[in-house]
Amino acid sequence: MTKYILKRIAWIFITLWIVATITFFLMKLLPGTPYTNQAKLSADQIRIMNDQYGLNKPLITQYWVYIVGLLHGDLGTSFQFNNQPVTYLISNRIGPSMQIGAQAMIIGTFLGILLGAIAAVKQRTWVDSVATFFAIVGRSIPNFVFAVILQFFLAFKLKIFPIALWDGFSSSILPSIALAMAPLADTARFMRTEMVDVLSSDYIELARSKGLSSWQTVAKHALRNSLIPVVTIIGPMAVALMTGSMVIENIFSIPGIGEQFVKSILTNDYPTIMGLTILYSAALLVIYLVVDILYGIIDPRIRLSTTGGKE
Amino acid sequence: MKFSKVVGAGLVIAASAFLLVACGSGSSSSSSSSSDSQTFRRMESDTLQTMDPSTNTDAISGQALIDTMDGFYRYNGKKLQPAIATSIAKPTNDGKTYTIKLRKNAKWSNGDPVTAQDFVYGWQRTVNPKTAAQYAYLFDSVENAKDIIAGKKAPDTLGIKATDKNTIQITLTEAVPYFNGLMTNPAFFPQNQKFVEKAGKNYGTQAKYALGNGPFVLKGWTGTNNSWSETKNKNYWNAKAVKLDKVAVQVIKDPSTALNLFQSNKIDDVALSGESAQQMKNDPAFTPRKQSTTFYTQLNQKTIPAFKNTKIRQAISMAVNRKELINKVLGNGSLIANNVTPQGIMSNPSTGQDFAKAAATKDSEYTAYNPKKAKQLFQEGLQEVGIKELDVTLLGDDTDGGKKMNEYLQSTWQQNLPGMKVTLSNVPFKTRLTRSTNGQFDMVTSAWGADYPDAISFLDLFTTGNSYNNGSWSNSDYDAKIAASKTTDVLDPQKRWNDLQDAQQIITQEQGVVPLYQRVEAHLVNKKVKNLQYSPANNYNFVTAYIK
Repeated sequence: MTKYILKRIAWIFITLWIVATITFFLMKLLPGTPYTNQAKLSADQIRIMNDQYGLNKPLITQYWVYIVGLLHGDLGTSFQFNNQPVTYLISNRIGPSMQIGAQAMIIGTFLGILLGAIAAVKQRTWVDSVATFFAIVGRSIPNFVFAVILQFFLAFKLKIFPIALWDGFSSSILPSIALAMAPLADTARFMRTEMVDVLSSDYIELARSKGLSSWQTVAKHALRNSLIPVVTIIGPMAVALMTGSMVIENIFSIPGIGEQFVKSILTNDYPTIMGLTILYSAALLVIYLVVDILYGIIDPRIRLSTTGGKE
Repeated sequence: MKFSKVVGAGLVIAASAFLLVACGSGSSSSSSSSSDSQTFRRMESDTLQTMDPSTNTDAISGQALIDTMDGFYRYNGKKLQPAIATSIAKPTNDGKTYTIKLRKNAKWSNGDPVTAQDFVYGWQRTVNPKTAAQYAYLFDSVENAKDIIAGKKAPDTLGIKATDKNTIQITLTEAVPYFNGLMTNPAFFPQNQKFVEKAGKNYGTQAKYALGNGPFVLKGWTGTNNSWSETKNKNYWNAKAVKLDKVAVQVIKDPSTALNLFQSNKIDDVALSGESAQQMKNDPAFTPRKQSTTFYTQLNQKTIPAFKNTKIRQAISMAVNRKELINKVLGNGSLIANNVTPQGIMSNPSTGQDFAKAAATKDSEYTAYNPKKAKQLFQEGLQEVGIKELDVTLLGDDTDGGKKMNEYLQSTWQQNLPGMKVTLSNVPFKTRLTRSTNGQFDMVTSAWGADYPDAISFLDLFTTGNSYNNGSWSNSDYDAKIAASKTTDVLDPQKRWNDLQDAQQIITQEQGVVPLYQRVEAHLVNKKVKNLQYSPANNYNFVTAYIK
């Protein structure tokens, strides 16, 4: 197990290096300069500025400088936030994004599991239809629509929650709920499908014939075995949620990281593009490792080994 | 195994989260409900980028710098007033020398006196290539600035000297009639050398690494956060004139959120756009703020030789219903642009009449919607050029607004000008800029914002060979008028005005560029806020504002 994990960690670093390299060269293909005032700068001025920032050096030299900095934990300084170190920018703005993402995750997965399980147990009844309807609605309506509706009714009209701005826990509730809709729907769908399968298997029949009540059977036997596909989607879902949503953060005026990524690409903010790409990749790779380890806990039949084989 | 524990723990977390959700709702009290206190709550559409006056480029940082710093002068509404200078300087030596006396009682917010040396240091720092200041080109007319920026001369050779502790002498290479107005740009503000050097590369990156000498002091800006405030500076030389205790600023990017916050009385001044702006057009709080920015279409004569034909260019202009474009497509209360120079940036030295309005009294027919005339001119133009069809690509931004505008233009040209076929190419902003600069376009919709309140900030762009004249329109009379305004007539405000008016009429009659609209920012302002001044440089001045 330890050997397996160490090997996976080594691969994480190799993968990150590959991601960093590809991103670096792709990013340099973006037209334009990182200067906000580019429209008014003459070619000469741009050349002088490029000299100052080392952007006139050959690409391979720039790449080398970046990788050496990266190995020392230096992600460079942002252009959008003048002279602000990228590590400072990320560490300052990731907090609110992670908080909302984590809350959305908790709301989404637990309600999703519940909804999916109920739908499966009561399959082909009106309960199932209602649950499926909610799952479809949650998946097909974009989260910003939910955000606007929640903001208008619960905050603007009923004044239960703050409309926007980042001011204490109460201001994180509406964005978390809006963000939770899609994961809720996804989890419910996966959960229902798997659970329907599990409920028709022999050992459930056995449990029932032993006289266990329907709910006991579900809670003790079916739930656990239905969680495998849910765990598979939870990993990437967590990364997507916790790295911030540009739309939700804009609607609720949250000082998060979600928007910075899009904006850094649009403004050619090279160090920020690199920093966030590496962060997202690292988060995804670590989560995959955690998910693989979790499989073993949930289902002992899945054993992790260096050969990666299943028993 | 431990599965039941995992599930159990999860349920506990979920339950407590919901409990917190339920409790949290009760404690959502408004953090800054101020009705009687002198706090002005406003929004910006994006974060602060820097508080370093040398490297500042964006309007939001520019506003914060103007709130927390004083240069020689300050705009109060349209009027330029002395700030650290004791009076508005009158240049000598054929307009090339400015001698400016400074107030003796001006202080930095840390108590240090503001001296002539602070201006000298600030200017030298901005033009120093090591600072990599994007606005360094604003200093181009100051002696030796171009060579310093290019790294050919030392920064201390710049044409600014402290002749004594409270006197500055500035030497220009040529007379610049709008130089006093230009110096309201934060790039020309003083900087406290001791403070700047101590902060090093952190200078201007957080509230604690910024030092001002203005009416307010910046608080609570961590360098990346979405809210900050400006509190009254007790050390300000004119502190007794400042009535507000605090300006609280919040970044709000979504217009409907801004509207909801305004209507819930959580904020006193919001900027709206799109549908929110359209919806509130008749509200008593609706306040349009004219921006010194014009949107226009450039026609590339290098890729499409037919654009050399004046009739074709005029037809393209007259085929556009600007009123419909503004009301139905943009919906933000923008103004029709009859000329490339926007309203509100220059006025007649003797009558006070607005530059753009004066020009429009003579040349508005070239931008008036006239599909019949347009069709006729277009047919004549095509015949003169000897072609039957005009097939062009219109380059523009891939933003919502950019796409909508270009789709409108495409349909209106194809409908009103038989024989014209327009293909759209909507690309990201930086791609659009690069293609415009390299001349890789047929038609492009672009915008220009004034760097200083003077018509030359726009008219200079379209002289022959200017690097911003992307369409390569050229007219020798126009070039001569612009040249005269800078040389023979530079010291005579009335003659210079006439030159610029003539030049404006030449380019409008010829439609060297096709002006579309002047941007107006739709604001909602709480009625309790009084005496809020807005300058031709598109900044607020909070010195005189108060809450009633």
